[in-house]
Amino acid sequence: MMRESIDVYTVLFYFFVSITLVSACVVVFSRHIVRSAFALLFTFFGVAALYVYLFADFLAITQLLVYVGGILVLILFGVMLTNKQINVDIKTGTLHIVPAIILAAAIGGTLVGIAWSNPWMVLPTSSSVKTTAPQIGELLLTTYLLPFEVASMVLMVALVGAVVIARREKNKKETTRDS
Amino acid sequence: MVTETILQQLVLFVPELILTGTFCLILLTGAFTKLRDYGTSTLTLIGSIAAFISVLPTIGVQKSLFAGMIAIDSFAVFFKLFSLVCLIGITLFSLHAGELKLVRTRSAEYYALLVAMTLGMFLMASATHLLMMVLAMELTSLSAYVLAGYTKEAADSSEASLKYILYGAVASGLLLYGISILYGLTGSLHYTTINHVLAVEPLSRVPLALVFVLLLVGFGFKISAVPFHSWTPDVYEGAPITITTFLSVASKAAGFAMLIRFFKLVCVNPVASVEAGYSIPLLPIDWQLLLAVLAVLTMTVGNLVALWQENLKRLLAYSSIAHAGYMLIGVVSFTDKGIASVLVYLVVYLFMNMGAFLVVMVVANKTGSEDIRTYRGLGSRSPFLAIAMTVFLISLTGIPPTAGFIGKLYLFAAALDAQWYWLAFLGVLNSVLALYYYVRIIRNMFLRESESAVPNISLTSGEVLLLGALLVPTLVFGIFFSPIVEIAQKSIVMLGVP
Repeated sequence: MMRESIDVYTVLFYFFVSITLVSACVVVFSRHIVRSAFALLFTFFGVAALYVYLFADFLAITQLLVYVGGILVLILFGVMLTNKQINVDIKTGTLHIVPAIILAAAIGGTLVGIAWSNPWMVLPTSSSVKTTAPQIGELLLTTYLLPFEVASMVLMVALVGAVVIARREKNKKETTRDS
Repeated sequence: MVTETILQQLVLFVPELILTGTFCLILLTGAFTKLRDYGTSTLTLIGSIAAFISVLPTIGVQKSLFAGMIAIDSFAVFFKLFSLVCLIGITLFSLHAGELKLVRTRSAEYYALLVAMTLGMFLMASATHLLMMVLAMELTSLSAYVLAGYTKEAADSSEASLKYILYGAVASGLLLYGISILYGLTGSLHYTTINHVLAVEPLSRVPLALVFVLLLVGFGFKISAVPFHSWTPDVYEGAPITITTFLSVASKAAGFAMLIRFFKLVCVNPVASVEAGYSIPLLPIDWQLLLAVLAVLTMTVGNLVALWQENLKRLLAYSSIAHAGYMLIGVVSFTDKGIASVLVYLVVYLFMNMGAFLVVMVVANKTGSEDIRTYRGLGSRSPFLAIAMTVFLISLTGIPPTAGFIGKLYLFAAALDAQWYWLAFLGVLNSVLALYYYVRIIRNMFLRESESAVPNISLTSGEVLLLGALLVPTLVFGIFFSPIVEIAQKSIVMLGVP
């Protein structure tokens, strides 16, 4: 019985991994922006499933809510509302293919090799943990209080910056006349 | 219990709180009142002076705050005061900047982002936890990306911003990858814990080497060291000149603070260093040699490319790359003397580099050009401006009796002291190389007559005061340099370093 259930978990795990990888490839290689955006849905979903495998239940739910429910919908809205872009091929030309392949292969090979062969530090896990949300909440307000608050500053700056860059100037005529 | 300790710790965190408050206040002022430029810049000045005063009581304190996220120590205090002086200077510059006149309606956001950037630098200088370090770096970088493209009507400003974001995103990505491997190896993000694990457990060489290369990409991007410098000239040229100045002085200093604290706390063997009386490197890889190669590349490439520049902003961008190389020499030697010499150099660099940029700004305000040809005959048209520029350039070269000489002297002496003879030799050689392009500007100002009739450049009293405030220290510190040396020697005290 035990053996069988482990197998189901493993099969499901590989299923989620393949969903994530295949859809990620579609996101990168598709020349159609709407197709890319929809493929991103499956990438986010697959990553959320992988979080469940890591016992990070809260993170998995957040991933679904924030990324699939929020950010992806925003991206799709952005694509749909700027209607010119739906059918336009995005410029995805590639320059210097040979050096890029060599560099990517070298870096990728090193990273995979290290991930494969390195003795990673394994921290002790407590099996008694049922849910992670209370602990995350407590840590955010004690140990990680400062990074939590600074992250809010970072987001605030990003918001202000986005507004500054995107805002249409009312006094455009005046400034051009002045100069 | 927990809330009480947090409240107690907040007492030492007042400067950062003041900056955050100023940030919010400026944004609200811009949104709800008619106060535009003078109002918001006055708020910035008040906020930064208040923060300056509130940093002063923390001098001499050695404490770790918020569960080891940041450290309050003399090293952090030095960089906090440094970035506040820069912020005050840049705010005053901004009032005179012609480029910003067109975007006066948006000045609330401009000053708010400047303050946010300073807050990021505060945290960069004091972070002792990798998560905190990354967040602080992102806060600084995000503000800088927007500010670089602030005059978005100008095409090169938008281009600068976009290039900066792209390079910055790649650099942060690589840095984060390095951090994730380091976390996987050591199981901690606290500098001291990582150091402890590195000292106790035998870790394999290759992953560690990769970690340090990846981290160096992130640090190198911030201090614009070659080969991670390629964004610098375009961003410096395209950004408003006030932002260029802020990036080249304050942002670079914060990058150095981050780099020095990381290497000092993580990569030094604490036990052996106490026994030997000086810092002994810990890792199985020769990161000092790695940094030395980086220093030589940075100096040489910066100086060589600067030789061909016609645009002064671009020339000063390459010169600032070269200066990062000189400062790396001090980091390489890694003795107390070496670190102190970097701090001395930073103080000197603050005055001379801001001065040179101020002159470029004043000339660009009046003539609308940063080309070296507009400087022809400046000596007869505007003697004060030309003489001030000459002093700043001589100081940047490192010729006595200016402050730049003292800075270089300490850097090279520290390298010789730590027996990095070839590095010091290459540094001196590079200074000679730099002489050529600095003198080319001086020659244009005094020995060449301008071909077309150009109006005289008259200075406002504010500009004269600002120039004087930068000129006097550049000259005085060349002769009475013991105060800055003493301050620098006191400021190398870092929490957790024996």
